[in-house]
Amino acid sequence: MLNQYLSKATMQHKKSAETWEKAIAYAAKPLLEKGVIEESYIQAMIDSVEENGPYIVLKDYFALPHAKAGVGVNEVGMSLLTLEEPVDLKGNQVKVFLVLAAVDSSAHLEALSEVSELLMDDESYDLFLSGNLDEISNLLRKGEE
Amino acid sequence: MYKFLAVCGFGVGSSMVLKMSIEKAAKERGIECEVENTDLSSAKGSNADAIFTSQELGDDLKGSTKAPVYPIQRYMDKEEVGKALDDFLASKE
Repeated sequence: MLNQYLSKATMQHKKSAETWEKAIAYAAKPLLEKGVIEESYIQAMIDSVEENGPYIVLKDYFALPHAKAGVGVNEVGMSLLTLEEPVDLKGNQVKVFLVLAAVDSSAHLEALSEVSELLMDDESYDLFLSGNLDEISNLLRKGEE
Repeated sequence: MYKFLAVCGFGVGSSMVLKMSIEKAAKERGIECEVENTDLSSAKGSNADAIFTSQELGDDLKGSTKAPVYPIQRYMDKEEVGKALDDFLASKE
């Protein structure tokens, strides 16, 4: 399930980002290029942080940018950006951005809960923090077996 | 059996993760509960034994629900969520 969304085509690694807004836009680029989301969804994710606060930072160094399901979203999608140097998101240091695009309240749940299980596990979370996309890919594949 | 709400702005992403954290923490404590994830507007006026959400959204909710609101900073932090759950349980004793 996870493999379907998080593949080489939707995972990126970068040294740094100037601002958290740019990091979110960069993280979402593969989804925009694939037509999974519209440009408006990127702005909606940024606006949500401005309006609702930085609760998308779900644990230290990890953020889950997302906005309203089905608005500016054409299909379910996820993309990942890992940064070598953390960027500040309203007082929180973030190195891993997982963009979530949902179409309704259920179609993405299985994939989201699978990736959350990995992120809640200290060992696999360390791999995400390391930013090594090959190893992250292996980890995601292992989860499928 | 307690009923909890996990709330975020849209009810699709962060609140789902928070629901997972609450369920894990509840299981560790042997508590039976039903956790529903929802968005801010649906949470207003809904019935629950406790509501878990962010500081910002919690401030927004407090005036419009009778349920106690527990602010969580890191939705994926089992320890922080567990502590909020302990506070809730202590209030029931």
